[in-house]
Amino acid sequence: MTTAPTQTARAARLDSVSKTFGTGAGSVIALDAVSLDIERGRFTAIMGPSGSGKSTLMHILAGLDTPTAGRVWLGDTEIGTLDDVALTLVRRERMGFVFQSFNLVPTLTAWENIVLPFELGGRRISAADREWIEGLCASLGLAERLEHRPHQLSGGQQQRVAIIRALATRPDVIFADEPTGALDSRTSREVLALLADACARFGQTIAMVTHDPVAASYADRILVLADGSIRHDIGRTSAAEVSALMLSLEAAA
Amino acid sequence: MSVQAPDVRERPVRAARAGGRRGGAGLARMRLRDYRASLIVAALSGAFGAALVIGTGVMADAITANSLSSKDSVKITVLVVASVFFAIAVYVSAVVTANTVATVIAGRIREIALYRLIGAASSRLRLGIAREGLVVAAIGALLGTAVVFVAGLVIVPALVAGGVLPEATYTVADPLLIAPTAVTIAMGFLSSWAGSQRVGQVTPIQALGVAAADPTRRMSGARRVFAALFLVSGLVALAGGVVLGLTSPLGVLVGLVGGIVSFTGVVMVSPVLMPALLRLTGGLLGRGPVGRIAAANAVRYPERSARSMVGVVIGVTLVTMFAVASSTYVQMMLGIGDEHPEYAAEMDQVLTMTLAIFSGLFGFSALIAAVGLVNNLALGVIQRGPELGLLRTLGFTTRQIRRMIVAESLQMTLASTVFGVLLGIFYGWAGAQATLGAQLGQGLVVPTIPWAVIGTILGLALAVGVLASLAPSRHATRGSAVAALSAD
Repeated sequence: MTTAPTQTARAARLDSVSKTFGTGAGSVIALDAVSLDIERGRFTAIMGPSGSGKSTLMHILAGLDTPTAGRVWLGDTEIGTLDDVALTLVRRERMGFVFQSFNLVPTLTAWENIVLPFELGGRRISAADREWIEGLCASLGLAERLEHRPHQLSGGQQQRVAIIRALATRPDVIFADEPTGALDSRTSREVLALLADACARFGQTIAMVTHDPVAASYADRILVLADGSIRHDIGRTSAAEVSALMLSLEAAA
Repeated sequence: MSVQAPDVRERPVRAARAGGRRGGAGLARMRLRDYRASLIVAALSGAFGAALVIGTGVMADAITANSLSSKDSVKITVLVVASVFFAIAVYVSAVVTANTVATVIAGRIREIALYRLIGAASSRLRLGIAREGLVVAAIGALLGTAVVFVAGLVIVPALVAGGVLPEATYTVADPLLIAPTAVTIAMGFLSSWAGSQRVGQVTPIQALGVAAADPTRRMSGARRVFAALFLVSGLVALAGGVVLGLTSPLGVLVGLVGGIVSFTGVVMVSPVLMPALLRLTGGLLGRGPVGRIAAANAVRYPERSARSMVGVVIGVTLVTMFAVASSTYVQMMLGIGDEHPEYAAEMDQVLTMTLAIFSGLFGFSALIAAVGLVNNLALGVIQRGPELGLLRTLGFTTRQIRRMIVAESLQMTLASTVFGVLLGIFYGWAGAQATLGAQLGQGLVVPTIPWAVIGTILGLALAVGVLASLAPSRHATRGSAVAALSAD
């Protein structure tokens, strides 16, 4: 089964999505009727304090979790109704992932990790793909480290390998969940610049969850969540302004 | 206890002190699932020991009821044979328990690191784990002994009434029953201590879990030296047993010690040895992504693979050892039968009975090994939650994950079965030689290898390996990938 790439301007979409954890008196509303579009070719940051529902939002967008109510699309494909196998194929062919940590399969080398999504689909790596991946590796200074295993790489290098893997298949969307959460500030800046660059140069759509105002300031668009709803939806903004916005949210709480 | 209301400020201190005194207080809350195998193994070992003591006692009573030979000398002879079998069962239990503890600890590195971070000494943690092993073994051993004791109280009179046993005074409540129970409990403590060796290498920083874990830790120099020492001294003792066995029936005891010590050496080098074996079988899994990742997983996590494989190796070694020893024994006896045809019929009867009894006795140890095997495969898969969650996120379908786990299991079972068969042939020959060399006076003989039996062992081991990995593979793909990814 292959899933058709999409032509619309939005890469992903939520329509009145709610998510409740638990039932009865102890239940928690993580998302409360959220609707949003992730625009194609843009770098969107999803921000919010801990417990604001931002990770749940990303997991639902990526088909890793199912909503309690509402509908979810990736491009023109409604993924809320897909079964596990179909959803897995969508993830494999049309999504890329970068997590805070535990991004790489520990038993595979950096190169094997990068080409894993191709192998899983039994897809041959074409000459063009290879050139694309090797170009990415070279520009990120990883060319010499491709035969290394994850534990032999620094945190920043591991994260760059994860980003290359996410970019390798040129997916519809890359989902990044706190990609700089485990990195020092200098490496964080490099990783963020890399994501922003992928978006600007290759038109790669990226949705990033973060609680870090500096990370958010690299994005074209910032969505701010609090208590399961979107409170702000703003364009590119400086880290200082994002911080001020976050602080005002805290003060209002 | 003070009558006054306790000073609130003092409470946490007291609680902390109490926790400290208990040593591995936190690890004391290890889940029941972690103990299951140790408990079953201790119960089996206790029951087996009790059955051997009661059985030999009753046998001695029965024999002396009909003859003039002294009860003590009969009993002592039978007891020596029985203790050889018990020693093997206890040894297998110890390996299974140590292996289970090591597996559980490998899955709890973060938790242990956290205890280290807040100031727990690693020796304290290990002592705590060993104490838990003691308690679990005590419960299991007492339970097993009690069941067999009660069964003995019912079965012995029934056998007398049924005419199977002659009329005599039988003692089921033999004071010797304490021995196997005590040995099993001590084994629980020692093997848990041995299995917790890894705790000493956990550093507090690992609690933060930032760095990617290095699955290919090299064996420490001291461990290499110990392993070599065990292997060499064990083999020397085994050879001594074989040579001594040519002239004395005591050869088997020396050989037993040699066998146990040298096999312990094999277990110790298994993290180095097993990946080498796995490389040989890895190619069988095919070139697809599932097969290739399965092969890489098995080879590149040497410790994890070794832990899963030791259970298979020990079980297969035991069964093969018995099959080879008994075939060699039968071959030796047939040789005598040809020379003295007048004894042939009687000997045939003795042979059949001895083999039946011995298979039962060996089967018990194999059962203990199987418990370890199944449990270890299951624990291994459960601990890989985050890794499997990542693969699912990246696009492994549920079926691909299951196929990968079954493929890994198949590869490991095949490699360890072949290795176990080779070891079993060697140990079986040495055992037969050390036990019977003097009695039969034929010098050194060539081992007789029952190919049909070995083929069956191979088939059975592979079937058990695959079946044992099916349940955990289903467990691994249950629930959402995100939950698995963040599980620790």
